[in-house]
Amino acid sequence: MMPRETAGAAAGELSITFELNGATRSARARTEHTILDVLRWQMNLTGPREGCGVGMCGACTILLDGRPVSGCLLLAVMADGRKIATVEGLEGPAGLHPIQQAFIDHSGFQCAYCTPGFVMATKALLDENPSPTVADVKTFLAGNLCRCGSYVKIVDAVMDAATRLASPATTSLVGADAR
Amino acid sequence: MHADVPATALGSDARDRVSGRTEYPSTVDRPGMLHARLLRSAVPHGRIRRLDASRAAALPGVHAVLTGETLRAIAGIETHYGPVLRDQPIVAMDVVRFVGEPVAAVAAEDLDTLDRALALIDVEYDELPSVFDGPGAFADGAPLVHETLASTSMAFAEIPIDQVASSNICHHYRLRTGDADRGLAGADFVFDDTFTSPVVQHVPLETHACVAEARPGHVTVWTGTQIPHGLRRTIAEIFHLPVTGVRIIVPTLGGGYGGKGHPTIEPVAAVLSLLTRRPVRIQLSREEEFVTITKHAASVRIVTGVSRDGMLLARRAECIFNTGAYADVGPRVAKNGGYGMAGPYRIPDISVDSYAVYTNLPPAGAFRAFGVPQGAWAYESQMDIIADRLGIDPVAIRRKNLLRDGEELSTGQLMEDSHFEELLDLVAPAVREDGVRAAEQRGRRTCRGTGFATIVKGTVTPSTSTAIVKLNQDGSADVLTSAVEMGQGFKKTMALIVGRELGISAGRVSVSDPDTDVTPYDQQTSSSRSTYATGSAVRQAAVKIRSQLLADASEQLEVAEADLELSDGRVAVVGTPSSGATIAEVMARSRRGNLIGDGMYRSEGGLDPSTGRGIASVHWHQAAGAADVEVDLDTGKISLLGFRTSVFAGQVINQVGAELQTEGNLAFGLGQALFEELLFDGGQVQNGNLGDYMVASILDMPPSMDVTFLEDPSGNVIHGLGETSLPTIMPAIANAVFAATGARVRELPITPERLLRALAAQPERGSAAVGTSA
Repeated sequence: MMPRETAGAAAGELSITFELNGATRSARARTEHTILDVLRWQMNLTGPREGCGVGMCGACTILLDGRPVSGCLLLAVMADGRKIATVEGLEGPAGLHPIQQAFIDHSGFQCAYCTPGFVMATKALLDENPSPTVADVKTFLAGNLCRCGSYVKIVDAVMDAATRLASPATTSLVGADAR
Repeated sequence: MHADVPATALGSDARDRVSGRTEYPSTVDRPGMLHARLLRSAVPHGRIRRLDASRAAALPGVHAVLTGETLRAIAGIETHYGPVLRDQPIVAMDVVRFVGEPVAAVAAEDLDTLDRALALIDVEYDELPSVFDGPGAFADGAPLVHETLASTSMAFAEIPIDQVASSNICHHYRLRTGDADRGLAGADFVFDDTFTSPVVQHVPLETHACVAEARPGHVTVWTGTQIPHGLRRTIAEIFHLPVTGVRIIVPTLGGGYGGKGHPTIEPVAAVLSLLTRRPVRIQLSREEEFVTITKHAASVRIVTGVSRDGMLLARRAECIFNTGAYADVGPRVAKNGGYGMAGPYRIPDISVDSYAVYTNLPPAGAFRAFGVPQGAWAYESQMDIIADRLGIDPVAIRRKNLLRDGEELSTGQLMEDSHFEELLDLVAPAVREDGVRAAEQRGRRTCRGTGFATIVKGTVTPSTSTAIVKLNQDGSADVLTSAVEMGQGFKKTMALIVGRELGISAGRVSVSDPDTDVTPYDQQTSSSRSTYATGSAVRQAAVKIRSQLLADASEQLEVAEADLELSDGRVAVVGTPSSGATIAEVMARSRRGNLIGDGMYRSEGGLDPSTGRGIASVHWHQAAGAADVEVDLDTGKISLLGFRTSVFAGQVINQVGAELQTEGNLAFGLGQALFEELLFDGGQVQNGNLGDYMVASILDMPPSMDVTFLEDPSGNVIHGLGETSLPTIMPAIANAVFAATGARVRELPITPERLLRALAAQPERGSAAVGTSA
């Protein structure tokens, strides 16, 4: 489905429809708008964050049809008809995702401005490779910057998240929050 | 210690951080909010010949355009501000002084309109001569960045300022201890070296962001400042309001590192809000962030006289801190870098001249460790040059010269609580064989080495913090302070302190974000001071509550106060934990509503303007570092194999937070050692984006990392440690490269190109010279 100008959109704007964290959403976007602009100013999501605007810092990492992308580089019109997942969709009604719980338990953040990006990148990594080595983790997360430098504990959190996801028995031990 | 307190003591805070729900300055949204952007100067120094914003102002959706001309026309406001010198205009007035200086500001309904509006503003400049490097600006005949001296500001704690008329020197700090000339004349050897540090930037992942909401007589600003009450005072001065007319609200910051210290975007946002009567939001782009505030480039010439057996006898140092076009807090940075030039060593005769100089670069201000890294880069690098020349082991020469308790620091204070030798022992490996390994590895064209650094650093003195603690009816507690959470774990640390005094779990203690309408004065969240200074005020407040609570309980339970203790949320008879009553029951019976305690921390000190001597710091932050590197001699590539850090912590209150900050210093420091440098050409930033300006990624961290906190056995000493280990990292890595190769790089960062040049330039000494350090 191609985006097209509609009656509801102002001149120069296109109407787009996409699946956001499981729900169908519509938005208006100029051709130069990124999906990050739309998520922030129309969907009112603050999890994906602009850190650099050029795809280098990973703070805006979201999943596009399950693959990690930089929200600041994806033109909004290119999201039309596709599935987008942000950190806001990770937490279920029953509580935090095991990746999120692992980041808390290992204190894998300081200011945490980068954390939603790291969490989503980790989700993509573990979906693709459920039992990564430390080297795999570092390579995969090389595109996510943490200026506070919490990297040691981030690696610990990701390795532990992999274990928790691989073993439901372990997961249940970390409390009611984990799913 | 405190293993009983989970890492998630502040459950909701941590939960929000991993869920993307944390409120930051950049997420603040107000009804009717406008957006604003700044048009920035394209020339480094010039007079604004013509500025025509009429087409922008006429664009539908534009609510206000602020220029120097309109700023001047607003009645009753101060047009310039600054924490030390009131030298920075809210937008440029007549003259621009760096590429990127705001010359106009536009407020509009949406970001798209702003982009169009900025493109419609025409500016023409008559260019003036420019100067970009510190030593060049210091030289006679250099173009003057400011024609006149600026008035001093009271918005921030004052220091004596020595501006030099008809020069670019906005502060000259002098230290005179003993007689440096005599000491140098009597030395067996004199070493004369110059070391430089480049401009780098804090690169908080959240760029500066604020929302200002003004009405006549009142301004509210939500912003990411590390100095809420200083900003309140600045905004109050701009609008000639009592500070009660200004409310600063500070959500948690997406990184600070000193870069969010003093006012940047808040004054212009406040003026735009006043003009439009609408809330106005500004968030800088990454490119703008690089030209808003930076770390001082510095050139440090250090002349040191030593005896044949390696005793430091005398030192003369000249430090030129390039503070850019506006002083910001540069004069204080020059002072700190200057008084620190003796390092943690006993040097009887020392003379330092440290200057903050204006240039046509973006303003430089506070940056993690505040002037000390630029100095330590020089004195710790030179220490190994001296050791090598005298044939003394780098650890041994430090050991000979490290200050011990009761000896005088360069400023005349007596050293107390010194731990330098223990710290050095903690990082020195049992076996070190740089020379041998390097020789064996020459065939493979790689070689390894270990390098050391030991530093001392003060904390801002004098300084003041106040705090209020409220005990609630259910036995939980609120802490009100104006210290800023920016990921360093401040809130958790305060919760632990209060929990311990009141016998409640840290999870029952809520710590405020700053809101100057409600939270009391705190000087600044920087200088590694909050755990110590704000923590002292908070503890004092909690102690007052504790004694009132015990008095109430004593009356209610008819048990002497001395026989009561607080633990697990109860007031119980000592030794019988289940006796007595819960704190909630005591509070209910007392019908006090809240128990309220206040606390104040206030340190005394300061330096004499003519000698630079006095009380520089209320206590001394101490650290040692050791780097292991492998150098590829063909490519100049340096691999950091390992880093060992030891820090004197007093008492560790928040173990995980201490580890995170110290590991974070390594990420910061290795970047500054090896690749971070903001490059300019004619005053224009060349690499102002995260594709070209490198910061450390997860792959840059060394495979081996070891952090040790040395604790004081008494349990009564608290030191901050957010910055303490940072200044060791750059010289330790340089010294490791020297141990590996014999090549000495005197300019940061140690890029492959610089190292290859140094390798090519060194006299043929090969592995034999390296062997002397083993």
